[in-house]
Amino acid sequence: MKLLIVEDQPKTGHYLRQGLAEAGFTTELVADGTTGQHLALTGDYDLLILDVMLPGRDGWQILQAVRSAGLDMPVLFLTARDAVEDRVHGLELGADDYLVKPFAFSELLARVRTLLRRGSSTPQETTLQLADLSLDLIRRRVERDGQRIDLTAKEFALLELLLRRQGEVLPKTLIASQVWDMNFDSDTNIIEVAIRRLRLKVDDNFPNKLIHTVRGMGYVLEERFT
Amino acid sequence: MIKRLSLASRLALLFAACTAVVSLIAGVLFNRASEAHFIELDQQLLDSKLVALRSALQGVDSREAFALRGPQLRAELDHQPDFTLRITAADQRWVDGAPYLSVPAAPGLHSLQNAGTDYRVYNAPLTPGQPGSPRLSLILDITHHQHFLERMQRLIWLTVGLSALATALLGAWAARSGLRPLRRMGEVAASVSAHSLTQRLPQAQMPVELAELAQAFNAMLGRLDDAFQRLSAFSADIAHELRTPLSNLLTQTQVILTQPRPLEDYREALHSNLEELQWMAQLVNDMLYLAKADHGLLMPNREALNLGDEVDALLEFFTLLAEDAQVTLVREGTAHTLGDRGMLRRALSNLLDNALRFTPPGGEIRVRMEEGVTLAVENTGDGIPARLLPRLFDRFYRADPSRRAGSSEHAGLGLAITQSIVRAHGGRIFCESQAGWTRFVIELPKGD
Repeated sequence: MKLLIVEDQPKTGHYLRQGLAEAGFTTELVADGTTGQHLALTGDYDLLILDVMLPGRDGWQILQAVRSAGLDMPVLFLTARDAVEDRVHGLELGADDYLVKPFAFSELLARVRTLLRRGSSTPQETTLQLADLSLDLIRRRVERDGQRIDLTAKEFALLELLLRRQGEVLPKTLIASQVWDMNFDSDTNIIEVAIRRLRLKVDDNFPNKLIHTVRGMGYVLEERFT
Repeated sequence: MIKRLSLASRLALLFAACTAVVSLIAGVLFNRASEAHFIELDQQLLDSKLVALRSALQGVDSREAFALRGPQLRAELDHQPDFTLRITAADQRWVDGAPYLSVPAAPGLHSLQNAGTDYRVYNAPLTPGQPGSPRLSLILDITHHQHFLERMQRLIWLTVGLSALATALLGAWAARSGLRPLRRMGEVAASVSAHSLTQRLPQAQMPVELAELAQAFNAMLGRLDDAFQRLSAFSADIAHELRTPLSNLLTQTQVILTQPRPLEDYREALHSNLEELQWMAQLVNDMLYLAKADHGLLMPNREALNLGDEVDALLEFFTLLAEDAQVTLVREGTAHTLGDRGMLRRALSNLLDNALRFTPPGGEIRVRMEEGVTLAVENTGDGIPARLLPRLFDRFYRADPSRRAGSSEHAGLGLAITQSIVRAHGGRIFCESQAGWTRFVIELPKGD
């Protein structure tokens, strides 16, 4: 997956590139709008991350150029202002998502993955699996090591999300949004409690733990070999 | 130009105009009265003369007969230089006296003018009731009357002018001193600045007409003062709220860097920094949200919402926390409105979050809804003292001052955000509390 980052703040750009590269993406970083637009039009990228305020050409102009050239890769905007006009403007021009600074990197990563997944049609799975944990979407049953685990509806939805995006660190805000449809920064500990409950049922009785806390970032479901 | 005229000049001019009109009317009336009086006097004089003349000229019916009596009469009339007599035969065949005047023929009193002299002419038959009797015209020179009237008129104009001028000057002075309280008000208003919002107009000393204005002005100053205090407290609070995590970050980072340490220590320090930073980011985002609301940029969607469903979703979200805190969540009733689902969820979530933190174990949080539309979030627990209620929605306000900024602690913006959202929906929110319970009530416009 090849990403283009157009960001004129050197520090922000540097860390974005490092973070995304370490998450397994091929990234390119440019600091001015003119070069950014040239690369966006010629570089065959899977996703663009554009700052709105840029020297040369601003993010909106690059987006316009990209869309009028018939390119339809997802575009994620980074903006310092959360003005409604900005949002409306961006969506009219065909932006796919936007993040307001300051944002958490884990949030950015989750959004990038969501956007990249949107295009590709994943085959309809009926069972999600990790190690000895399996989740049957049709019968709505969860088993681990052959034992049936009873989950509430929300616990099931949470585990399904973790399984679908296994290996990805999911920020609390994303979990709240996907499982409970709460689309705001809630600083409650609800997700913590929910994960704790899920662990109690899914992980506690088994030596091989699957749900992990990534401190300060979120939660991830993966098999770790110690 | 007229609009820019000062109040004092305006009043002075109005006074002058009033005086001019009044004195003009008085003058005209006086003039008319004098004129009528003169006519009456003349009439009396001419009546008495007529009687004397009739007896003196009794029986005269021809020029010859008049010529016999004429000279004697003339001699008598010469003693009265302002009086002349003309006698005209009924058939107009002869006329005697005052040939220079053309006298109207109709009987009765007439005024006429000739060569700069004014006359009053009184026509009457020599012998009343007898046809063919010669007509007597008694002619009175009334120039001195007219002169008097003209003098009067000049005097009236002079009076009008002078009194208008005098009242204009006096009026200007009176208006100026009458408007002094207004000027004082202006001075106070001018001296009000960000530094002296505490200044007030002395309401008790103000004239009745201005007392109301002064009151309104003072009330406005009060609100300004309040808003300004809040604003400056807000800035101070922002600085204070940011200072704690910033100093944590500085201290910790510096201490960690003073000497080489095991890798685990660095990781721990970065994690701790991350927590502080996330808290600060949340604070900044919340403040930006509030700033947006302040600028009227919070524009809620207006979709039809079943608040019962929304509350159920939220209660489900909060169930886990409530179970942990051994608090029961209850919903009562339902309501429909037009609003922004995301924003209203956020607003209610703040209320529920708040309620959860202040409900003791074993307590209850009840969300009550009524069509119309009210929504109340009520929790058991220690009440909030009445004096604190108005401040609850202030930014950074915490009912318990010991709950200061900590990395996972609330910044105290939740209720302010809830209020902004409710206001953006055209509703209002207030809090009531008694010993044992606290209730936040949201009133929203009805969704038709």
